[in-house]
Amino acid sequence: MIKINSVTKSFKEKRVLGNLSLEVKEKEILSLLGPNGCGKTTLLNILSGLTRQDEGNIYINDVLVSGKVGTKKVHIKPSDRKVGYVFQNISLFPHMRVKDNVAYGLKSLHLPKQEVKKRTEKLLDFVDLREYAKFYPSQLSGGQKQRIALARSLATEPQVLLLDEPVSAVDPQLRESFRLELKNYLQALKITVVYVTHNLSEAFVMSDRIAVMGNGRIEQIGDRTEIFDKPSSSYVAKFLGVNAFKGKGVGTHAGLLEIDVNGVRVFARATDGLVGKEVVATVKPDDVVISRPADEAFDRSLFNAVEGTIIEMTQMRSTAQVTVDVGFLLKTRLSLSEVKKLSLTIGDKACVRFSADSLNVFADSGVEQNFIFKESPK
Amino acid sequence: MKLKFAKSLSDKIIIAILILIVFTYFLFVILPIVAIFLRIEPSQVNAQLHNAAIIEAIKLSLFTAGTATLIAVVLAVPTAYFMATRNFHGKTIIDTLIDLPIVLPPAVAGVALLYAFAPKGLLGPVFNKLGYVLPGSTIAVIIAETFVASPFLLRSAKTGFENMDRDVINSAKMLTDSRLRIFFTVTLPLSIRAIISGAMMTWARALGEFGATLMFAGNLPGVTQTMPLAIYVFLYSDPLAGVMLSIILIAIAFAVLITVKLLEQKRFGNKK
Repeated sequence: MIKINSVTKSFKEKRVLGNLSLEVKEKEILSLLGPNGCGKTTLLNILSGLTRQDEGNIYINDVLVSGKVGTKKVHIKPSDRKVGYVFQNISLFPHMRVKDNVAYGLKSLHLPKQEVKKRTEKLLDFVDLREYAKFYPSQLSGGQKQRIALARSLATEPQVLLLDEPVSAVDPQLRESFRLELKNYLQALKITVVYVTHNLSEAFVMSDRIAVMGNGRIEQIGDRTEIFDKPSSSYVAKFLGVNAFKGKGVGTHAGLLEIDVNGVRVFARATDGLVGKEVVATVKPDDVVISRPADEAFDRSLFNAVEGTIIEMTQMRSTAQVTVDVGFLLKTRLSLSEVKKLSLTIGDKACVRFSADSLNVFADSGVEQNFIFKESPK
Repeated sequence: MKLKFAKSLSDKIIIAILILIVFTYFLFVILPIVAIFLRIEPSQVNAQLHNAAIIEAIKLSLFTAGTATLIAVVLAVPTAYFMATRNFHGKTIIDTLIDLPIVLPPAVAGVALLYAFAPKGLLGPVFNKLGYVLPGSTIAVIIAETFVASPFLLRSAKTGFENMDRDVINSAKMLTDSRLRIFFTVTLPLSIRAIISGAMMTWARALGEFGATLMFAGNLPGVTQTMPLAIYVFLYSDPLAGVMLSIILIAIAFAVLITVKLLEQKRFGNKK
């Protein structure tokens, strides 16, 4: 279990972490998800002890590993924290054979030679690379190197494992299979894992819970459904690729909140408390259904239905994302065959529908977070 | 030489001019070297190698340059490590000052060493008390060579330490709490090429040191007369001996450069 209490960190004048708090449960795999440069790696470095925070306390399994007790400063060395760390860049010792890389941590435990050998073999077996024991890192593929890096970090039997974008060192076409391999290893370990990534689908594949990070703090934490269905800020919604639009609560109708969005009325199942307030509404692209204006055979009472113009279409492997301007922009996702069936093209008029239940509404904090995403999450 | 991309006429002219410049420059560098080799007959080489004056100069040069390199390793490598891994106020100034001897005219270095270590210099009284007179001694040669040549090692080692992947060192820090173990098992092996090539450059520079040695240590055969100083003297008294020494120095310089280049190219794990 990891507990991070109000940690701040600045490099020179630039504040990287501002009052960040986070709890990682015992033996869970938690993804730290956020755009590049949001402070994820800094947070891992602070957890590992390689970097010192300016303020705040870090506890690992209820032991204060870094911070202050009264006026007394505590900072346990990285090697004494029972923490394993797999770095983003391949950080194997290039001048040592695979087995010596893995044995490096074991040798600091002052074990007998036979024991070191036995445990090294066990670790190599764990990552299925025993036959590569005598190879040098430069003779391995990206994925093999990261597996060795994992085995090396496990040598000291850590209670917590930190991984910083471990997949980015693997060839793009092999990433997906490496991800699954890695997931199996992590699940077999049954230790607390903090997994840093900027890739949305990777976070979903790898972890039990996801902490979305932005602007030097944790924006939201939860499992996949919680985060996707109920983003707690427009920042999170935008990062997840979920539709988010601003409006004003204007009244209630049949238990639904009526929201005015740029003159367009939409209804959401939300509390009356939001009437008269500036709100943000989010809806997943998957919950938005697109159709031709002609085939309007749906029940308007259950659905929000608005008309607009298709302004953008992006094709992915098996799905397409269509953006419709209905007075505000709405993204919808549908299969390629549906796109074909509806023969949608840019500039066409279209009708989009989404249920009142699929809308997630919260009061607008008024804080505009202009974060430009360097890489769009997939 | 194949020039695949020379298409238009102007391109061809530019490339022709470029080749001419390269060729001229190459000739300019190679011609003086060739000129030296043309001065000696192969049959004369053996006799020269038994010339006592030559042997004496070679022995002195090897001893002083070797000692200067050893001193440089002891002083410059830890300094380079400190400079590469620590940040402190005034680092840039210290960094520049340490590199200064590289660009300082050797004559100025000689004068500076005189004012520092000669009997009437800054530390003169200290050496007087100990009964040492540095100028005119072999120690002075070593001091001059260390002063002029050690920054080459410092620079190279510093670059070696700086270019090391931080995450490799951090990985080691996660696995052991012994700084010494990390230094000797990770840092040093990963920077040893930079250190060796720096040491070789320092040694070659020390071997060729002329100005500072002449000014500070003097030109006494067998005591301070290193190979370059001997060449200077032989030029008038025994030109053939001068040529022989020059050829030896050219061969050493060539060997050092090739070794340094090879060291820079080699990568780990290519040996199977």
